[in-house]
Amino acid sequence: MEDYPEELRTPPVSLVSLVGCPELHHAISAFLHSEQPPINTLALPDFSKISVLARKQKDPLASTPPPAGILKRDWLLKHRTKIPAVAAALFSSEQVAGDPAQWLQLCTDLENLKAVLRGRSTKLVVVLVQTSVNDEVSEDLMIALRKRAEIDSKHLIVFVQNDASELRISLNRLASIFAELCNTYYREEGRKIKARIEKKSFTSSELNVRYCFEAAVYAEFRRDWAEALRFYEDGYRALREMIGTSTRLPPIQRLVEIKAVAEQLHFKISTLLLHGGKVVEAITWFNKHIAGYERLVGAPEIAFLHWEWFSRQFLVFAELLETSSAAIPSTLSPRFGTSENPLTDWEFQPAYYYQLAANYLREKRYCLECCASMPEYSELSTKVGDVPESVMPSAYVGQYARLFEQGDTITVLLLSDSEYVSYAHMEAQRFQDTYEIIALFRKAYESFSGLKAPRIASYCGNRMAREYFIAKEFGNAKQLFDGVACLYRQEGWVTLLWESLGYLRECSQRLGSAKDFVEYSLEMAALPIFSDIGVENSENKRVYGPAGPATLSMRQTVQEEVFNLLKGEHVPVTTDGSCILHVTEDEPICLDIDLVSPLRVAFLASVAFHDQSVKPGSPTMITVSLLSQLPCPIEVDQLEIQFNQSTCNFIIVNAQKYPSTEKFTEDDQRSLVETAPSLTLSTNKWLRLTYEVKSGQSGKLECLSVSAKIGHSFMISCRAESPASMEDLPLWKFEEWVESFPTKDPGLAFYGQKVIQVEEPEPQVDLILGTSGPALVGEDFIVPVTVESKGHAVHSGELKINLVDARGGGMLMSPRDAESFSSDRKHVELLGISGIPEEDESQTDLDNVRKIQHSFGVVSIPILGVGESWSSKLEIKWHRPKSVMLYVSLGYCTNSTEAASQRFNVHRSLQIEGKIPIIISHRFMMPFRQEPLLLSKVRALPGYEHRVSLAVNAISILIVSARNCSEVPLRLLSMSIEMDDDDDSQNSCSVQHIGGFTDNAVLLVSGEEFKGVFSVTPHVDTLNLDVGTVCINWTRDSKLGSEQQDSIVVTKQRLPDVKSEKPPIVVNLECPAHAILGVPFSFYVRVRNLTSLLQEIKYSLGDSQSFVFCGPHNDAAFILPKAEHLISYKLVALGSGPQQLPRITVTSVRYSAALNTTAAAATVFVYPSEPKFNMEESKQETVSSQ
Amino acid sequence: MIVCVAVVGHENNPLYLQSFTEADDALKLHHIVHSSLDVIDERVNNPKKSGSTLNETFLGLLYPTENYKVYGYLTNTKVKLIMVMTDLDVKDADVRSFFRRFHAAYVDAVSNPFHVPGKTTTSKSFGQRVGSMVKSFGPGATA
Repeated sequence: MEDYPEELRTPPVSLVSLVGCPELHHAISAFLHSEQPPINTLALPDFSKISVLARKQKDPLASTPPPAGILKRDWLLKHRTKIPAVAAALFSSEQVAGDPAQWLQLCTDLENLKAVLRGRSTKLVVVLVQTSVNDEVSEDLMIALRKRAEIDSKHLIVFVQNDASELRISLNRLASIFAELCNTYYREEGRKIKARIEKKSFTSSELNVRYCFEAAVYAEFRRDWAEALRFYEDGYRALREMIGTSTRLPPIQRLVEIKAVAEQLHFKISTLLLHGGKVVEAITWFNKHIAGYERLVGAPEIAFLHWEWFSRQFLVFAELLETSSAAIPSTLSPRFGTSENPLTDWEFQPAYYYQLAANYLREKRYCLECCASMPEYSELSTKVGDVPESVMPSAYVGQYARLFEQGDTITVLLLSDSEYVSYAHMEAQRFQDTYEIIALFRKAYESFSGLKAPRIASYCGNRMAREYFIAKEFGNAKQLFDGVACLYRQEGWVTLLWESLGYLRECSQRLGSAKDFVEYSLEMAALPIFSDIGVENSENKRVYGPAGPATLSMRQTVQEEVFNLLKGEHVPVTTDGSCILHVTEDEPICLDIDLVSPLRVAFLASVAFHDQSVKPGSPTMITVSLLSQLPCPIEVDQLEIQFNQSTCNFIIVNAQKYPSTEKFTEDDQRSLVETAPSLTLSTNKWLRLTYEVKSGQSGKLECLSVSAKIGHSFMISCRAESPASMEDLPLWKFEEWVESFPTKDPGLAFYGQKVIQVEEPEPQVDLILGTSGPALVGEDFIVPVTVESKGHAVHSGELKINLVDARGGGMLMSPRDAESFSSDRKHVELLGISGIPEEDESQTDLDNVRKIQHSFGVVSIPILGVGESWSSKLEIKWHRPKSVMLYVSLGYCTNSTEAASQRFNVHRSLQIEGKIPIIISHRFMMPFRQEPLLLSKVRALPGYEHRVSLAVNAISILIVSARNCSEVPLRLLSMSIEMDDDDDSQNSCSVQHIGGFTDNAVLLVSGEEFKGVFSVTPHVDTLNLDVGTVCINWTRDSKLGSEQQDSIVVTKQRLPDVKSEKPPIVVNLECPAHAILGVPFSFYVRVRNLTSLLQEIKYSLGDSQSFVFCGPHNDAAFILPKAEHLISYKLVALGSGPQQLPRITVTSVRYSAALNTTAAAATVFVYPSEPKFNMEESKQETVSSQ
Repeated sequence: MIVCVAVVGHENNPLYLQSFTEADDALKLHHIVHSSLDVIDERVNNPKKSGSTLNETFLGLLYPTENYKVYGYLTNTKVKLIMVMTDLDVKDADVRSFFRRFHAAYVDAVSNPFHVPGKTTTSKSFGQRVGSMVKSFGPGATA
């Protein structure tokens, strides 16, 4: 677009001419230019310069010759810069109102101007310049001036220059008059032309086109875009019709001219449409334009001109589209490419046109090259070699002429077609199309990439790369082709990939990169191409690039070439022999093929172990399978299989080539050497090799890579792949071909892995945890641990002990306890590990580890020979009943050098239940038939309701019972109540053991209970009386013959506090131990008043069927302070056996408390007659039974 | 005249591509077909534009390039059928009916129990059938 003249690219602007008063010109032209629409000014400082406005003189008599061309080259420029629509003569007021000489001069100037403008319809305006408003010119002079100028009164303008506001008004006035007159002028001019078109008063179709063009330009001057568009389109159509009819010029130049004019008209139409926002119309018009001219190639020798022109159409339209702000109208149907909307998405993108422009420019270059190679044309251009200097564009658009000098006169001669052709050839040779094409493709490439259209972008990239290749910029070309090939590879477009790889191969050859050359060649050779049609010829090279068409035979050729290169037998030579690749033994080529490499198709290694795991040191089978899709078989000299454990690496050699393996063992002592009968890889046929491997080290054994050595200077290192997780071959996965398994065993092909687990060696040491039933809370529970060697010596052995809550959670304390810091409240505690280092008594090694925490311990084990054993005891103490898992693990080495040898591990675990051995309970009792009145029982103190009350200074009985709740028989050694150490509690209460326990230890079987009897005498009156702590010493009953003495365990339980208070009244019932039927006996109730108050009591005795009695039924008594009152009854029993005494009720009036005796206290045994027994003994027994 | 027909898999890999020209421009046609996949992607993935064409298998003219016009058709299994032709004025209905028959032929070809879905089609009878369809294509062939 930049090649077009400016006047064509921009809309025309009206032109006015200013003559005289040059000092005002700048202000006026600046103002007019800033008007909307702007007006350009042609400023002439004085009247002597007006000749530029003059018209060319034509001989009126000469008949108008037929037009020599369609459009005059300078017509538009002339109308934009030379022919004003309005001529304004500026006169200062002095000139008008001055002396007669000045007036005369003014008249002359005006006449001259009028004479110059004669024949044109240019409007004349006279501007009278005043310095100020007051500086007025008389009315008469104004009229005279107007008459002289022959203008309307409104075309005589007064211009006031010195006052700012007046100046502004004057300028505005001037501008509006100019605008109006310009409009009139251009309308009149247009109308004249239109009249000619309508009357068809033209002699040739050239004039028709010209008139249309002119009419359109005049319409454009008036900003009547619709009319301009119409006339441009008319002109364009008229021009198209001329193609077959015009005979004015020789045929080649005729077409060239028509195309040049069509280009201009089309450009104008497109610009107008796009500026009007009519994108769809513009694109449709463009398509019509292209369709109309595409086939007008013309003579073959100048076909390149056509393609150049054609390409330019696309380029210009792309630029127009890019610069125009018009968007796709929303009314357009989004269904692109259908009958509703025949346009397609891309036709709205400038990139699309750039890409086509580049394509046609390539066509142009191709035509040019064809011409150059044809002998008759090369002759032609040399023959008229002198033509170009004098050939120049003629006065008409699209025409060329030569200047012919003859003496002083220079004549312009038309060219013959052959002259023109050679001129065009000379011109064309001067341009470097390649870089133009690259620039266009690059523009398209970038736009398409931005539009997320990667494929068309890579097509542009491909074309760009081809141009770089042609320009011998192989580095750039290679980079671009690499990017493009990536996409083709990914989507499996084999033919396209073949083309790109062909270029890449050639590029790397030119760049001298042997490795790249080999890689690209191998990839090409391994592409899934099977067709075998298409013959090699020079035309192919142009279409397909250096690789030629994609065929099977080409693949074979490529492979042969590259292997010949690698063997050093034959080096491929580039066409110009510029760069030759070298592959020597000193610089071998090593290719690495990983999982994403495109070369996987050329060489694929699948490795499968036959087993999933193996014992260390025992052999296992491994299958190495190799696959190649190269069309010709490959002979591999040597295969090297590498593992992560380098001791397992081995080499496979071709038995045919290396009949003895001795050579290798010398070379490489570390690697094992295997032989294979043949190492030839055929196309798409797995080469399966099965060997034995042996690993001594436990852990993972993984095959890393398989390297194939071919010849002396070529090596392919291929990452090993598991058949189970092997990806499909890229590109080949889309092909229908017979796929075979990498291993013979189809199961292995699906599940085979390149990794095998080498198991840990079997430990030959036993770890025994002795167990002895449940543990009891409080005891030191012993778990014997024995390490017995059964075939392995134990070196640097280490025993790890771990205690874990069996219910999970891992904590051996409750969270609440963990918060409270005390360490002795852990539920279960590992107290220690008592080793019995019998074997090594001087064991004071520094590395002897012995670390014990409350739930974790580590202990070293001395060196044990084979067959020896070591034992130890774990002491664990339970503080709470809890179930615990005990984990013990032994780690050891078989010999003293730890680093080299394998470490073995033995694990054992044991669940141990922790149980409570003894449950202690207690109760308090009063002495028999003694009832103190304890006021707290009558009126409970708040907060102490449940506390037992004891009478001060009176003996109370405490019975403590201990029940074995474990399953283990226990031996109770002693039971005692210990007072707290402080004197206070010693004095406040005295506790004595009074019975229920002998010196011999008592055996308690499960569930059995033992009772101890204590007397308690409180000495002080208190609410919190500490009665002491029950201590029970017990031990496990070890009569089962264990030699070891069980330790004595103390179980303590603190008794709860009691209240002690002074009773105000104590009632004692006195009654014989037994009675005899019919024999009267006495029954006393002794009431003691312990207070210093007079106490009134009431008492009553109920009737009983078993007894008759004498004494009062009801009575009352007063008891003096510190005195006692005795109520006596005489009773006779009427029935034998245990009999309920008559019910006695004693009521204290002061305390409103009544005594009701318990049933036990109110029962007496009645013998039917006097029993016959020793009175002494029976009396004692009676007491003890109580 | 139809110069090329192609079947492209849902991974945008070519499954079948056959050109019907005398000239040796197979590579060029490959490029044209490959580039047209961008337009299909654009039409299918652009929700604004595909709104009304959601259930329409015929994608219409994809793009004109040089002397060719490229038409597209998308099956419900995301297999793309592409046709390149040189005719300038062609009725949509003709192209539609061609694609319908082409699709039917392709469905028949892949219904072969020995065919692995997603792989290239090498069936000779499919090739012959497509060839005869291409030959008989022309204005008014709808009937």
